[in-house]
Formats: sequence, C-alpha cells, structure tokens
Amino acid sequence: MMPSRKMLPLMVAGGVVTVIMGFIVVVLFISWFSNPPFGLGNAPAQPIAFPHTVHVAENNIQCEFCHRNVTKGAAATVPAVETCLFCHKDIDGGTVTAQSEIEKIRTAFETDTPINWERVHRLPDHVRFIHEAHIRYFTDETIPVKYGINGEEIIQSLDVAQTCTICHGDVGNKTVVQPKTGQSLKMGTCVDCHRNNSVPTDCTVCHK
Amino acid sequence: MVTQRIDHKWGMVVDLDRCTGCQACVVACQAENNIPINTKSFYQQRRAYHWIRIERYWEGEFPNVKAKFIPIMCQHCENAPCEPVCPVFATYHNDEGMNVQVYNRCIGTRYCSVNCPYTVRMFNFWDPKWPKSLRNQLNPDVTIRTRGIMEKCSFCVQRLRRGEVNVERRGIEPLTGERIPAADRKLNYRQMKEGNYLPACVQACPTNALQFADQNDNTGPVKEYFDEANEQIETRHQGGHVDEAHTRVYRLFEEIGTKPNVIYLKKVEPFPLDKA
Repeated sequence: MMPSRKMLPLMVAGGVVTVIMGFIVVVLFISWFSNPPFGLGNAPAQPIAFPHTVHVAENNIQCEFCHRNVTKGAAATVPAVETCLFCHKDIDGGTVTAQSEIEKIRTAFETDTPINWERVHRLPDHVRFIHEAHIRYFTDETIPVKYGINGEEIIQSLDVAQTCTICHGDVGNKTVVQPKTGQSLKMGTCVDCHRNNSVPTDCTVCHK
Repeated sequence: MVTQRIDHKWGMVVDLDRCTGCQACVVACQAENNIPINTKSFYQQRRAYHWIRIERYWEGEFPNVKAKFIPIMCQHCENAPCEPVCPVFATYHNDEGMNVQVYNRCIGTRYCSVNCPYTVRMFNFWDPKWPKSLRNQLNPDVTIRTRGIMEKCSFCVQRLRRGEVNVERRGIEPLTGERIPAADRKLNYRQMKEGNYLPACVQACPTNALQFADQNDNTGPVKEYFDEANEQIETRHQGGHVDEAHTRVYRLFEEIGTKPNVIYLKKVEPFPLDKA
C-alpha cells in the first residue's frame, strides 16, 4: 500500500532522525571499543619499521639505553639518530628488509635529517605524567611493599624494564608497538594505582 | 618512608608600601601560565583577562595627587565562595591551602566567576591564539585552556610541584646539585628561591612587594604576617578589639569571612596628602 501524501514529510523526517541517531551510535561504539581489552587500537605507521623484539627480547638492550631521559625527567623521549648509530655503525640486519631499514637510519644520519617517529602512547594535554618519579618509586629498595594497578603486592623492588611493563605492557616482545596494550592509560588506572600505594591523589599532582 | 606526604600551607604577602605598579608581575604571569594575548577587541568586549592585575587608585585633587596600586590575584580563600556553587566540583580546596581549578572537570557554567568577590576568575570565551613567533615560548608545564572553561591564578602550582619533586622526593639541592639526606628533605624558602620554584610574579617583582613561602616555614618571609593575621582573627572571634592603627596586616574583604591565604600590608603614609 502506498503511503498517503500527508505521511511523506513525516517519513522523511523519521529517516533523517534515524540516520543521525545511527551515526551517533556508531561513533560511540567505535570510541568505546577502540580501547582495551577489545584491542581495536591501531598502531600508527612509523617511518622505519623498528622491531622491539630484536632489540629487547633477543639482544637484551635495556629500555633506558635508548629512552635515555626516562630515569631523569618527565618525558621518556625517543632516541636521537646518533643513539641508533652507536650500534648500527657496524651491525647490519640479517635479512634484506632489515638491511634496507638500517640503511634509512644511516642516510638520515649522513643528511642530518631527524626521523619523524609517530607517537604511540599519547596522554591528553591536561595531564602531566613524570616517568622519572614512577620509575624511582618502583625501583626503590627502601620501600618494603609496593602495589600494582590491580592491587597485587610487589615485594622485591623492580628494575627499570619491569616498571615500564606495568603500564606499557610487554613491549619487548612486540614487533609493532600498539597504543594502550598494557593499560588503558585512562584516569581510573592512574587513580587506582595511586590509591593502592597510598600516594597523593590530589588533582594538582597530575593536572596543572 | 619516601611516599610520606610532606604537607605545606602556601601563603602570599603583598606589601603595598613596596609596590610601584610596574606590572612586571602581570607580564611574568602571562608568560608563565600560557595566557593568550589580550587584543583591542578583547578589551572592547570586556573579555580581556589576567590572572593577576594591578588596580590603580588616585587620591587627592590635582596637583596634590597620589597613585595607589594594589596587585590582585586569586586570594585562595579558606572559605571560598566559588567552591560550593560549582556543580561539577571543578574547583576545590586542597590540603596545601590552595584553591584549585581542575580544567578537565570544568563545564563552563561561570557560577564561580559570579560568586567570586574579588573577580579574579576568568572565562575563556575563545580558543586561545598566539602568533606563530610565540608558539615556542609556551610553557610546556601548563595546560593550554580551551574555549568554554574557567581559569584563575594557581599560585604557579607547576613550579611548586617541580620544587617538591626535585627537593623532597629526589633530594637534589637546587644550586649545587648535591644529594640531601633523606631526613632533611623539606622544601624551604632558600631552596625555592634558588631553584626558581617561587611563583612567576614573586620572582619577577623588582621591589619584593610580593612574597611567597610556606606559612609554617620559619625561614620564610611570610610566617610572621600570617601569625599576626591569625591572631587578629582569633581576637575578633572572641569579641576583642584590634587596633587598626598599629597593624599593617589586613586581608581583602575580611569582613565577609572568606579567610584568604593572601595577606596585604597597608601602605605607610609618612606624608599624607592633607599635610603636603
């Protein structure tokens, strides 16, 4: 049965509302499920395919060897090109792809161009996270018992790499680093851990 | 234990006898706290803002005139009128005597601004803009506030926190870089001065009219004034009389009971206008 002419504008309006509501639902759906534990968060494309597996898991390079500032200041920092050349002056990759990737670093060093690494773990602008303070706390031997994010007890003091995995996950065993694989890095995670360890939860500790 | 919180109670003293109205504090605050540049149209719309401002008052008739200057910033009241009216708890009082504005909680109702007797709360009507040449000047420790939220003086909390982390947690002496033994790790006035942990306006003031320290710090410049002010409050509370002629200490709008953490010292007038 054909709808009457009076019904037509009503149906059009209904259709428009449905489309808008559907759009909102889809946006909310994606934004909610793109966080862990659902794991739809995609890794950004990096200028050089850097495998953490080869460097950390196979060759046992410590996190703070490349991310130099992590035990000294707020930002962990990505290494300068010179830091890569420290080893890759002599070391070539085992495969053809690895060699071509290493060649990119050498070219960058010779032509004095910085490598534009894409940031993986990004906090909002109103959050000030200090890497140094957290590593100092978890590596401190004078504190007998520390607590993880889920309230589990950490009896012995950790080393730097173990501290990193608390929030960043097991980056050393990943070829491609995806955002938020360890913790969701939402405020709830921070506050949980701060409460477990009875350290300040005042807003101005992080928000300035 | 390292995690033990070392509590402070911050306070500021403004000596009006020393203030020359040079506005260095205003400029320092603008640079430190990423405050956008006030343009002509901002002023025309009455939407220009500073976290600290110098109010100027003229006294007397020409040619016997005198200018009086009063720097006014957020008074960090103990009974702050802005706090109970916020529907989302974006402003609250922390245990260091500071009135804190949490930008990411604020939804921009502007009730706090209406309720503030000092009119020091500023609203962002637009997204902040800077000329390209000033982009690298922005302070990375301070959030850039977006459109539609309230902001105000924070006592340069980013500097105080840096001082607490460097001196009390890491134990680094500001000038020498030596390690401080764990028992002595308390941020004192000398370390704040040497390590640039004082608020930007205090550091910039050329005549030391603005003084900032822990209210309980014996080595700091503010303790005596806060003791005197607390004594006055106690005397008034018990119905006693405070001799106003013999004290320089007062607080802005003391009579409405906001209990500010900023103290003003009256201007001394050796040559009052009528005798000049």
